[in-house]
Amino acid sequence: MATREEAKINGARTETLITISNNTTAGIRGSPDDFGRATAKLAVAQLCEATGFHSVKDSALESFADIVIRYLIDFGKTAEFHANLAGRSQCNVFDITRAWEDLEAPRGFSNGMREIMNYAESMPETPFAQPIPNFPVIRERRNIPSFVQMGETPPSKHIPPWLPALPDPHTYIHTPVWDERVSDPREDKIEQARQRRKAERSLLSLQKRLLLCNNNRNPNRNGSTGTTTTIPSNSAIGDVNEDADVNMNVSPVVLPAKLSVIDGDRVSVLEAFAPAIEMLGNGGLCDEGFEGEKMVLPAVTERPTVHFKFRTGKKFIRESLDDRNRKKALHAILLVGREDERDDKKRRAEYILRQSMENPQELTLL
Amino acid sequence: MNQNQPQSSSSEGRTDDDSALSDFLASLIDYTPTIPDELVEHYLAKSGFQCPDVRLTRLVAVATQKFVAEIAGDALQHSKARQASIPKDKRDRQQKDKRLVLTMEDLSKALREYGVNLRHQEYFADSPSTGMDPATRDE
Repeated sequence: MATREEAKINGARTETLITISNNTTAGIRGSPDDFGRATAKLAVAQLCEATGFHSVKDSALESFADIVIRYLIDFGKTAEFHANLAGRSQCNVFDITRAWEDLEAPRGFSNGMREIMNYAESMPETPFAQPIPNFPVIRERRNIPSFVQMGETPPSKHIPPWLPALPDPHTYIHTPVWDERVSDPREDKIEQARQRRKAERSLLSLQKRLLLCNNNRNPNRNGSTGTTTTIPSNSAIGDVNEDADVNMNVSPVVLPAKLSVIDGDRVSVLEAFAPAIEMLGNGGLCDEGFEGEKMVLPAVTERPTVHFKFRTGKKFIRESLDDRNRKKALHAILLVGREDERDDKKRRAEYILRQSMENPQELTLL
Repeated sequence: MNQNQPQSSSSEGRTDDDSALSDFLASLIDYTPTIPDELVEHYLAKSGFQCPDVRLTRLVAVATQKFVAEIAGDALQHSKARQASIPKDKRDRQQKDKRLVLTMEDLSKALREYGVNLRHQEYFADSPSTGMDPATRDE
């Protein structure tokens, strides 16, 4: 160990203790003997100062304190040995005397306790600098209450009631609160795609119906590829601007790849479709609707014109319908792009749409 | 209290000793040794020393204190001798005389007489080849 800074022991004895405690390096685990060692270092430093030193090197102080502790332990061991030799378990003054003579043997003949007495009388009394508590501190141990203390009766006859009580069942029995659902991300994605497809189909069928409606009403107008019309975001169909012009230049092409979330309000889409779906009745929608099957659309004569705007992932607006018909393209479209951003909303929208398809009667609640 | 009973041999020296010892033990109650009682009791209990009497623990504390004082005194003499032997001009010596520092060297010298061999690293090198002849150092 490199020599560390000196510990000044001039006068202010409390400084030594602070220096000692500051020297402990952070990160080294403290041993249980740390307090004893620190106290011993302090006592030894005090004694060195009384002898005449002005300061003490830190490493020397530590070694010295270690030696003093060993001396104490040796003293106790020797004294205890002598007591045991005499057939006693508790030491008395004569055991200490003999132990002292044992320890002092390397120094030559000692005068027994007389040396100690002379020393004690000659030395001025220098008590320890700080009061220290009785250590090691005994921690209070809380026992587990017995059966009698808990007021319980033991579960079976072979357990006496003065034994510690058994633990509460909730500590060792685990009942699941809900059914564990194993989530498979791939399955989730497939399911999501399926729901989206369903929503798109319904949307497409609705579009077709509207087209047919409009064609029925305005046979001269033909939809061509073009822009979509707008619908105010939060309105149901009943509130829509009733334009004489049906700006439904919606081609069968125009289908959003993903179900639109108009201004982040998913309910509006549902509201937009709600009357149409209601009119269709229960069996109006079917999955294979746009494969060329003929569907019977009810004659909708008094429907107000609807302006739709589908704000979607813009690159997909102009996809051809033929591609849509081939479902394989759908996968690519669906799973690509800004899925991550609108995932949650779209999932919710599709969920609601799916629910509406399954239970058309409950739409009025929304 | 059985501690103050005289032993089997009853020469006068013994009784004198015993009476002196008993007086000393009585005086120990007032005397507070530098090494605190709790510390001594802790380490004595660690080694198996059992005694409910506080005077005996104080006796052990005083004995240890004497031990420390002796070693410190020897180390002090060593450091003073070292200071005297270093050839320096008078001006520096005046300043240095005031600082007496207990170092590992003095402590190990003092402890050697007590049978404690305290070995102390003199220096620390960066690598095994530090300080070697540059020609022989293989890098």
